[in-house]
Amino acid sequence: MAKLRLDKLKPLVALGVFLIAWWIVPPVIKSFFKINFTEFQAPSWVVSSYLEDLQGFWARRSHSKIELIEAGRELARKKAYYQYIAQRNESLEAEVDRLESILHMPTRREFRYEVARVVRRDLSAWWQQIIIRKGRDYNIPEGAAVIFSSGVVGRVVEVNAFTSRIELVTSPNFRMAATFETDGRPVIYQGVVQSGFGRATGSVNDAPQDIIANSQAPLKLVSTSLGGTFPPGLTIGTVSWLEPGSTGIFQAGEVTLDERLLSLHEVSVLIPLNPLELNNDVP
Amino acid sequence: MFLDPRILIMFGANALLLYLSLLVNSALSSWSLYLVLLGPMLVLPAIFLRHRSYLLCILLTGLWVDAALPCQFGLLTLGFLTAGACIFQIRFRFRAEHNYHPIILSHSCNLFCIALISIATGFEYLSVSSFWIQILITTVLSHGLLTIVAPWFFDLQRLLFELCRLETEPEDFPIL
Repeated sequence: MAKLRLDKLKPLVALGVFLIAWWIVPPVIKSFFKINFTEFQAPSWVVSSYLEDLQGFWARRSHSKIELIEAGRELARKKAYYQYIAQRNESLEAEVDRLESILHMPTRREFRYEVARVVRRDLSAWWQQIIIRKGRDYNIPEGAAVIFSSGVVGRVVEVNAFTSRIELVTSPNFRMAATFETDGRPVIYQGVVQSGFGRATGSVNDAPQDIIANSQAPLKLVSTSLGGTFPPGLTIGTVSWLEPGSTGIFQAGEVTLDERLLSLHEVSVLIPLNPLELNNDVP
Repeated sequence: MFLDPRILIMFGANALLLYLSLLVNSALSSWSLYLVLLGPMLVLPAIFLRHRSYLLCILLTGLWVDAALPCQFGLLTLGFLTAGACIFQIRFRFRAEHNYHPIILSHSCNLFCIALISIATGFEYLSVSSFWIQILITTVLSHGLLTIVAPWFFDLQRLLFELCRLETEPEDFPIL
C-alpha cells in the first residue's frame, strides 16, 4: 500500500490553524494588522495622486498664452460675480442672525470646510467608496459629512494618518434623513445597489401620501439638520416618481443622483466647529 | 535556506498587480465598471515555493489585499489560503514552466474570489437583479482582461527571478 504523504496535508493544516487563530485572536490584533497594512500602502496612493496633479500641471502648461489670458478673463468675471454673491450672503446671514436672536432660536451647527483631493474610487457592486488625501493630519473626524459642488457625497467611515475612506451616497450602507425642498416633513434617503452604466441612483422612503412627483417637475431632495451630520438644504438628488411603499402608509421612490458622483476629483469634508455631545445635545 | 527569497519578488509583483488594477478601477468608475484581478496572485507561490515560503507569501498577499479593498479584513486572506491549499495539494500535476496551466488556475482562483466577495459582502442583495447584472459585467470584464494580464504577470515574475539570479523552476517538478 502506498505510503500517505503527510507533507501534502500541510496547507490544509495551515488553513485550519489560521482559521482557529483568526477566530480566537482579539479584535485589537486584527485592527493592528489592518491599520499597519493600510498605512503602509497609503503613501503609494498619495504619491500617485500628486503625480496626477503634476500631470495636470504640465498639461495646463502646454496651453498657449492666448488661451490662458482668455481663461483669466473668464475667471475675473466669475470672481466679480461671486464677490457680489458673497456680499449679499453676508448681509442675508446678518439678517437671519438678527431674526434668530429676536425669536430666541437655538444656534445652528457651524462647519469648517476641508477641501480634499480624491485619490482612489472603488465603485462596484460590492462597495461604493472613495479615498481622499487628507486624514488625521487635517483632523478629519469619523462620521463627518462630505459634499461637492452639486451636493451630498457621503460620510467619512475610516480615518487614517494621511487618507480617509468615504462611504458614498450611492452605497446601500448609506442612510440619512432628508426632506423635499418644497415640503418640510422628513423622509429617509438610502443608497441602493447600483445598476451600472454610469447612472447613480438611490431610494427615498417614508414620503407622505400627499406629495406628488412627476418627470416634468421632479422634486428636489435635500438634506435636513435632523441627522446632525449634514447642514440643511444640501442637494441629494431629484425624485421623478413616488409609489405606495411596502407599508401602504407612506410612499417610496427612486432618487436620481448627480452622475459626477462617479468621477469625483475634489470634495469638501464638513468638520463641525462645535461637535455634538451625545449626552447633552439632541440634534 | 530557511525562506525562499522568491517570496519577495512574488509578493512585490502581487502588490504591483493590485495597485495597477485599483488604478484602472479608479479610472473606470465613471462607467461603473470594476475589475477583479486577484486570481494570478496565488498561482505561482502555490506551484513554485515550499510550504513555509508559500504560506508566508500568501499570508502577506492576503493581508495586503484585505487592507486595500473595503471588504471585511481577513476575508481574502482566508480565501487565498483556501484556494492556495487546493492548488498546493495537486501542484505535481501542473506544468509551471509554461503559462497554460497557471492561466487556467488563475481564472479559477479569480472566479472563486469573485464568488467569495459576492457571498460575504452582498449576501443581502442576492435577490436584487441589478446586483447580479453588475457581478456579471465585472466577471466578464475581469476574465476577459485576465487572458492578457495573467501571461504578462507570470512572465514578469519569471523574468524577475532570472534578473535576480534566482531559481526559475518550481521546487517540485511535475509528474511527467
